[in-house]
Amino acid sequence: MSGRAWGRVAIVLLVTTIVQVGVLNGLVVDGAHPDAFLLLAIVAGLVAGSQRGAVVAFFVGLVADLFVLTPFGLSSLCYVLVAFGVGAVASLPAGRAPYGFRIVTAFTGGIAGSLLFDGIGALLGQPELPRHQLIVVVAVVAVANVVLVIPAAAAMTWALSADSAGRELATTSGGSAR
Amino acid sequence: MSTTRRNTSQRLTLVILILASISAITLDYKGEASRGITSVRHAALDVVSPIQRVLSDVLHPIGDVVSGAVNYGRAVKENEQLRGQLGTLRRDVLQNETAEQQLQEVLNEEHLPYVQNLPTLVAEVISGSTSNFEDTFEIDRGTSSGIGDDMPVVAGPGLVGTVVSAGSSTSVVRAITDPGSSFGVRFGTPGSVAVAYGRGAGYPLDLSGVTADMSPHDGQIVYTSGIAGASLPAGIPVGKVSFVHYSGGALTKTVQVTSVADLQGLSYVTVLQWFPAP
Repeated sequence: MSGRAWGRVAIVLLVTTIVQVGVLNGLVVDGAHPDAFLLLAIVAGLVAGSQRGAVVAFFVGLVADLFVLTPFGLSSLCYVLVAFGVGAVASLPAGRAPYGFRIVTAFTGGIAGSLLFDGIGALLGQPELPRHQLIVVVAVVAVANVVLVIPAAAAMTWALSADSAGRELATTSGGSAR
Repeated sequence: MSTTRRNTSQRLTLVILILASISAITLDYKGEASRGITSVRHAALDVVSPIQRVLSDVLHPIGDVVSGAVNYGRAVKENEQLRGQLGTLRRDVLQNETAEQQLQEVLNEEHLPYVQNLPTLVAEVISGSTSNFEDTFEIDRGTSSGIGDDMPVVAGPGLVGTVVSAGSSTSVVRAITDPGSSFGVRFGTPGSVAVAYGRGAGYPLDLSGVTADMSPHDGQIVYTSGIAGASLPAGIPVGKVSFVHYSGGALTKTVQVTSVADLQGLSYVTVLQWFPAP
């Protein structure tokens, strides 16, 4: 990825951070709120493919980990796995349908990412949420992802379109880099 | 051939990123590296805190305006009376009906009977938790105001949490309902002590170690125990017993406690400048 693309990814990440800590943290539904960092990792996989998407998701996770008390690197680990999986699915022929596929992937990615975070956290000895609360978290994150995936994907497409290789991957994975 | 090479490259990248993440997690558990990571976290919070304050100031009143619109006239009148009583306290903020609620909350923090002689600091809650897997919130005071890790945080009727990460201008508070929160409590007769555990936002606390000979009952107030080596000072109200179950023959009772403070609607809190005994 070019330096310009990384610069744009940094801008998108900064805006995501502000939106998350300044706005989304306050949109609490039954103790859960949208997770813009996880969504950004998902759209990284969607737009950039599994390899570069996982690299972007790794850095998204590192930034996300700055604002939580869970072990540093836990979000990175989850986001890398989610972005890689999303990228792999997006590379399939069925993954090229632009909007419907993105919405379904954002929804399922939100479920998978939240469960993965809870599972890996439990393996690392992190306190577990009650089952009912975990269901609420998964539902809120997945539904919020559906609402936010189109602008998030547009932002990531803009960021990675600064890279010539990004244009190729974005096109093959259903992106619309210009 | 090229597909195979690309697949190999993708897998290699995945393995490297997983190893990098695991390395970061491992470093976070080590002393020196952990302190470095904590410093970076504090710096990140300090960087975004001005933005959080602005957004909090902008967005919080909007929600309050909606809820207060029905009683606008009465709210303005009460606002004037309270303004006279409190003088300059947050005068600039008190411009509309939302001020009545904010003012009352600050006033509540100024008269906490259980605080006794402990020095205190009133702080504003500027953000909730960024993670859905922890119950924390951020306040607008940090080490530059005299706040340190492990200090108890109270609001109105009782305990709401403890400071777990104090940056220079902001601090993160772990709510008592966080699944990682635990502390000693007492109730009823002397010697009735137990350990309270958080179960998640919106859930009552669990009491562990309530033996069959103890007699907690619904509505009974539970206080911090403050016994030797405790992480919190004694006598801070925590909650009311909301559920008691005892199966005959069991060694312990199942007891749940509902917080006396409204943890979901916190705007202002008081930090008690108290450190646990070393």
